[in-house]
Amino acid sequence: MSVFLAILQVVIVTLVAPLISGATRLIRAKMHSRKGSDVFQDYRDIAKLMTRQEVRSNTSSFVARVMPVLYFAVMVVLACGIPMITIASPVPLLGDIITVIYLLALSRFFFSLAAVDTSSAYAGRGGLRELIVGVLVEPTMLLALFAAALVAGSTNMGAMGLAVATGAVSAPVATFLAAVAFALACYVELGKVPFDMAEAEQELQEGPLAEYSGPSLALLKLSMSMKQVIVVSWFLAIFFPFGAAATLNFGTFLLGIVAWCLKVAVAFAVCAVVENSVMRTRYKLLGTQTWAIFGVSVLSFAFLIVGV
Amino acid sequence: MGYTLVNILGALLIVTSTLVLLSKTTRRAVLCYAVQSAVLVALLFTLGVTTGARELIIWAVTATVTKVIFVPLVVWNVYKKMGCPDESNLASRLKPAWSIILVAAEVLVCFVAVGGIQLPTAAAVRPALAISLAHFFVGLTCIISSRNIMKQMFGYCLMENGSHVTLALLAPQAPELIEVGITTDAIFAVLVMSFVVLRIWRGMHTLDARDLTNLKG
Repeated sequence: MSVFLAILQVVIVTLVAPLISGATRLIRAKMHSRKGSDVFQDYRDIAKLMTRQEVRSNTSSFVARVMPVLYFAVMVVLACGIPMITIASPVPLLGDIITVIYLLALSRFFFSLAAVDTSSAYAGRGGLRELIVGVLVEPTMLLALFAAALVAGSTNMGAMGLAVATGAVSAPVATFLAAVAFALACYVELGKVPFDMAEAEQELQEGPLAEYSGPSLALLKLSMSMKQVIVVSWFLAIFFPFGAAATLNFGTFLLGIVAWCLKVAVAFAVCAVVENSVMRTRYKLLGTQTWAIFGVSVLSFAFLIVGV
Repeated sequence: MGYTLVNILGALLIVTSTLVLLSKTTRRAVLCYAVQSAVLVALLFTLGVTTGARELIIWAVTATVTKVIFVPLVVWNVYKKMGCPDESNLASRLKPAWSIILVAAEVLVCFVAVGGIQLPTAAAVRPALAISLAHFFVGLTCIISSRNIMKQMFGYCLMENGSHVTLALLAPQAPELIEVGITTDAIFAVLVMSFVVLRIWRGMHTLDARDLTNLKG
């Protein structure tokens, strides 16, 4: 049953991801007073790219070839392990927060490595920036999640979600602050303005994408949309598991799917509004903001020690 | 249950005071301070109901009038009288991240410091006592780190809120007179400081504490 659930999650995430990125593009267009294309534009983009020819830099090695597939594979593995419909993880082995953080780091590492591999200065610079974001945001994620794990007594997302859902947390304020810090860190990870522009492959940040074409680019675009859904689901699984099924039967299963869809839709709508109401930050100042988020997780840890 | 709620509200006091510390404009500081005072009132009320101390409930009512309504109103009026001056160049001396980490450190140090104190209310509110003590230092941090004299005023108010909670926890049965002494003291302090700020603005046209080093008697 849990294997079926894991496969179902992968299918849902893969199918829904372009729809969500299409919807955020539509919201952006509306907020910019443009007409914009409909929500299915990303499906058409991916389908179009799949039929195009693949062109590669002749200086690139196997890393550049492997990266799109590896990136997609990591997202598939993540989609298996993160609880979405149920509170417990479908594959408990992959439901550990440390595993998730390392899998995200793996995809980021290869993304940056492929950028350097193409020998294009432009792409390489973009890859390095991607790494900087990772270095700045990962400590916050780890600290906030450790605070939540200490409160719940487990690093398994299922157990952490269950503790929050049943209210069995010993330090509610510490958990709340950890949730705030983690939500902000996830927002940075989503690659949205003011920190980044996930869909702007012409921009320096997503420079590596400029070196890809055809099916590879399609796979990368799909994977990046999947990553956004996965990161949001990750946050929801730990800090907002309400509505997810505790025990699995047909009724709770349906309720779980509906609740997950609603939560993800609301989360992305909020992100889209935030994204279009702020200016893009200068790269030099990125650290100031991420360190402030780190401060929030430190405060959460302090409250955890005090016991409130 | 009541004591758990007191501890949670105490922690929210620190969260709101951190927001005051981080606020870049007087407008936001006034709002955050009003929210913080509302949390303080809730804390006093909860503590009063839990311990059965009638005095604390009266304190909650007086604090609503003085701290949630009066003090923010006075400061906001002064700010408006000055014509809502631009504060964009009056950033704090500390970066936001360091401010928050400093607050966390203060909470931890105070938690260690109150470890040996025997409370007359209950051992269950020891976290709240640590937090109230830390709150005093958060206020001090606000005064030291701000260049904006309006925010330095709020630093004083934060210190005062901290001592208010400490008193409520250590002496819940203290007569009303003591509490009146504390809150009216704060009101007069805020009134006098607002007046001084207004005079400084009219004379020097600045809110920057660094520009005030040449003041002479």
